[in-house]
Amino acid sequence: MTARRFVLALALAALASAAQVFAHHGGAAFDQSQTKTFVGTVTELQFANPHVLVFFDAKTTDGAVEQWSGWLTAPTKLARAGWTKKTLVPGDRIEVTGTPHKGGSHILQIRKLIAPDGKELPLFEN
Amino acid sequence: MRQDLIRGTVATAATLALAWGYLAQPHVVAAQGRGRAAGPAPAAKPSAPAPVRDLTGVWMKGRAPQGVPTFDGSTWTPGIQPPLTPLGLAEKAKNKPNNSGEFQLHETNDPVLTKCYPPGVPRVYFHPYPFEFIQTAKAVLQVFEYDHFMRRMWTDGRPIPTDPDPLWMGTSVGRWLNDATLEVVTVGFNEKTWIDRAGAPHSDQLKVTERFRRVNFDQLEVDVTMEDSKMLAKPWTAKGYFDLRPGWELGEISCSGDYLEWPGA
Repeated sequence: MTARRFVLALALAALASAAQVFAHHGGAAFDQSQTKTFVGTVTELQFANPHVLVFFDAKTTDGAVEQWSGWLTAPTKLARAGWTKKTLVPGDRIEVTGTPHKGGSHILQIRKLIAPDGKELPLFEN
Repeated sequence: MRQDLIRGTVATAATLALAWGYLAQPHVVAAQGRGRAAGPAPAAKPSAPAPVRDLTGVWMKGRAPQGVPTFDGSTWTPGIQPPLTPLGLAEKAKNKPNNSGEFQLHETNDPVLTKCYPPGVPRVYFHPYPFEFIQTAKAVLQVFEYDHFMRRMWTDGRPIPTDPDPLWMGTSVGRWLNDATLEVVTVGFNEKTWIDRAGAPHSDQLKVTERFRRVNFDQLEVDVTMEDSKMLAKPWTAKGYFDLRPGWELGEISCSGDYLEWPGA
């Protein structure tokens, strides 16, 4: 099994097991009892269907760099909230707060996102 | 490894997306303090009167008046089982919905989640995206953001077909009951779709009647009546409420691609 397939299998297995709870309670694949906040550097913004994904590097307390991703709602909804595919670009320094995935993957359901200019980005259409 | 991370994360998010429709339902989002929900409405600003025989605009599922049941989550009448016939019950037992949380994603046989089948009418309303009404001389077009589905509701006086071809979204004929209410009857469905997200079945005898009533400029009420002599012992009725979104434009939500990248697809 290649590394790519292994990562894919792990992610899908984690979500398959979490999906039932997720469907029951909405967002329950993520641990709603806690949030994590990172100051990170954007490596990629995927402004694509079905979900917008923010990839970023975050330093741990011991100085190591971890690769994380955060998922947002659909691009159409974010577009109506004012986003474009260039709202975040690689190198942007952001502050991300989200609920972590229960499976332990470096994936967040983003709840708050501070742009490089210090302003909070809208996460839902109004 | 970078690409692995991306692909793994994309696949994960895509898997989540299958349940996202539920998460993004207004009641769930509202539970997170970010959206709209049933319950006491804030002081409503006065709305202009409804225009005459005009539903034009972008509409999004909105708030039901307090105490009034509305379709929500995964079914038309939350907390109340659909009035299924014995055959309907037997067919429903074969269905393994995920949106109502009964089955895991790798177990579900939901035709939308596993095959990207069109959701059909009236299930299409459960997708948490807006739709737009466009009116022409011959028809009212209902365009859905989700997967670009479009219904042509013929308003040119043609009769409801008696032997329609089986279609995903059926054949729709509309007529104005008064200056604010459009009644649309839809028949001629194939049997590949469910009528809600909880696995309620229908047959080719399904007839859906929608009464769109624009109560004022900004609000639309919809009465939905589902009749099916094979699957429903009596008509299944429900209500929906939609708000006009003047500043919105429909974008692209496609079911293809990432939506299918999960086990069992």
